[in-house]
Amino acid sequence: MIELQDFSVSFKSGTALRQASLAIRPGDRTGIVGESGSGKTMLAMSLMGMAPAAADLSGKLVLDGRDMTGADDRGWEALRARKVAMIFQEPMTALNPLRRVGDTVMDPLRLHLGLSKAEARARALALFEEVGIPSPVERLRQFPHELSGGQRQRVVIALALACDPELLIADEPTTALDANVALRIIDLLVRLAEERQMALLFISHDLAAVARATRDIVVMYGGDIVERGPTAEVLTTPRHPYTQGLLGARPNPVAEPRGADGKRPRLPTIPGSVPTLQDLPSGCRFSGRCPVELPVCAGTRPGSTLISATRLANCHALKQEVSA
Amino acid sequence: MSAPLLEARAVTRRYRMPRESLFRAPPVLTAVDSASFILERGETLGIVGESGSGKSTLARMVMAFETPDAGQILFDGQDLGQLSAGDLRRQRQRFQMVFQDPFGSLDPRRSVGWSIAEPLRAIGAENRAHRVAEALEQVNLHAADAEKYPHEFSGGQRQRIAIARAIVTRPELIVADEAVSALDVSVQAQILNLLMDLQDELGLAMLFISHDLAVVASICDQILVMQHGKSIEQGRATEVLNAPTQDYTKSLLIAAGA
Ligand SMILES: Nc1ncnc2c1ncn2[C@@H]1O[C@H](COP(=O)(O)OP(=O)(O)OP(=O)(O)O)[C@@H](O)[C@H]1O
Ligand SMILES: Nc1ncnc2c1ncn2[C@@H]1O[C@H](COP(=O)(O)OP(=O)(O)O)[C@@H](O)[C@H]1O
Ligand code: SF4
Ligand SMILES: [Mg+2]
Ligand SMILES: [Mg+2]
Repeated sequence: MIELQDFSVSFKSGTALRQASLAIRPGDRTGIVGESGSGKTMLAMSLMGMAPAAADLSGKLVLDGRDMTGADDRGWEALRARKVAMIFQEPMTALNPLRRVGDTVMDPLRLHLGLSKAEARARALALFEEVGIPSPVERLRQFPHELSGGQRQRVVIALALACDPELLIADEPTTALDANVALRIIDLLVRLAEERQMALLFISHDLAAVARATRDIVVMYGGDIVERGPTAEVLTTPRHPYTQGLLGARPNPVAEPRGADGKRPRLPTIPGSVPTLQDLPSGCRFSGRCPVELPVCAGTRPGSTLISATRLANCHALKQEVSA
Repeated sequence: MSAPLLEARAVTRRYRMPRESLFRAPPVLTAVDSASFILERGETLGIVGESGSGKSTLARMVMAFETPDAGQILFDGQDLGQLSAGDLRRQRQRFQMVFQDPFGSLDPRRSVGWSIAEPLRAIGAENRAHRVAEALEQVNLHAADAEKYPHEFSGGQRQRIAIARAIVTRPELIVADEAVSALDVSVQAQILNLLMDLQDELGLAMLFISHDLAVVASICDQILVMQHGKSIEQGRATEVLNAPTQDYTKSLLIAAGA
């Protein structure tokens, strides 16, 4: 349905996304994980044909078999509005604090679908019901500040669903919410994706959230896709050293008492920190921090190694291990 | 036996909400409702509970930013509400706070060294440059970083700076309100380890507020569970997490994927 082929996004300061390939098929639920600055948002924006104008782009964007690379005419805009919708971390970015939330949701219905006011209202009400907003009739008339954080995020989801998109991109949709509310929002997104046969691209640095929301996962580091495969497999048996480090650093909800020396056990960590764009190594982006680094790693970019029919990772050490 | 370092005795904090009509009394919201806990020297007490349960309000009372409407906060046996302004100022260096958002808590137009020295200026301490340098090294940054500005640092480094500012007065208690919640997993693990190192080196006690039970499990000796402003369960972390007595605590554990 939508596909990126060897897509790169470069700024003067460096390459924010390096030759990424990703295909989204109808009904897919795909997660993107990675730390802040790893290129998750760049990947999502590229899929929507919305990479920043200041950037140098290369590679291909294919929509329903048509090459849309560089297409930026108005036809593409309208097409995109119906094909792809996006929700962001902070619900207030999509809501106007001075307008009733019902009016905000009615806008795209009237603009893109040409509904009358009464039709748009009925449809907005149905959307509010679908996303589980309590007392939807009254809520339509409320302003954003009168809703809780979770309710606001539901309004934003209703807004994103207004034009029946085939793909919903959710960029950190639960990061600003507390754990119980986040769980309910994730379950809502999964239910909507299944009921509507809509593809879901779920972006988060929260591994537990991605585990719950998606079937497949893409792990990013320093602008590269480093590992991909079925979510459950990648998260239980990660093969790329970065994925392993990331999972190891995550605390478990299991209390550990202090040791005999009176000290608490420390968490495993990845040494060092994510380099800035201009300081990224040219070969494997993880070189310099990797516990199993080889001499070849810093200068040569690792290609994809097939781990199983559905799993890939880009790592020199893994390639040696698999071919041995 | 000496008093615990910190004790909350049935503290309550109410807020008056905006009037709904001229003829009705303004509604009152009880943000913290007769909550109690004890924190011993050198230990870490985690406070968990969902959004709005009163965690931050409790923290502000511990820091004496706000006064309880009922009950007492006892620091080293002294009721903070009974101290004179001068005594409170002198006591302040013994408890310091780290906030969630390292962006918001550092002044972007001031050097990092200036921000770290802020609590020292508040108590009129001498030898400030030396103590700022020492604090930077304790959080694994460099003394020379004092000259730089917040935008020159990553999120994790900014949180180290916020921690340096909190320990620069050599406090006995650190109150950390969602101090690692905005950080990526690998940075979060480094900061949690740093807090544990500082606790071992300096004998700090910590009041550690987080909505993330896994984070709390990794760093806390004791856990206090808050719901609707009430303290519904306190105990050793191993007991609360392995054998919670309250259904609400069980639901938090399920949400955390335990
Ligand atoms: N200054 C204030 N005026 C009015 N109400 C307030 C004020 N501060 C807090 N509240 C209310 O008190 C309750 C407890 O808030 P508090 O900030 O302590 O919650 P919290 O547990 O820290 O939540 P979170 O996890 O979202 O940070 C909430 O209902 C909040 O809206
Ligand atoms: N307009 C821009 N100009 C320069 N660099 C940018 C711009 N937008 C993003 N970047 C850089 O690209 C990298 C990837 O950014 P992003 O995709 O937003 O990361 P993520 O969403 O994973 O946190 C980061 O290093 C970021 O600083
Ligand atoms: S390619 Fe080399 S540096 Fe990169 S993850 Fe693999 S072993 Fe480590
Ligand atoms: Mg992003
Ligand atoms: Mg709070």
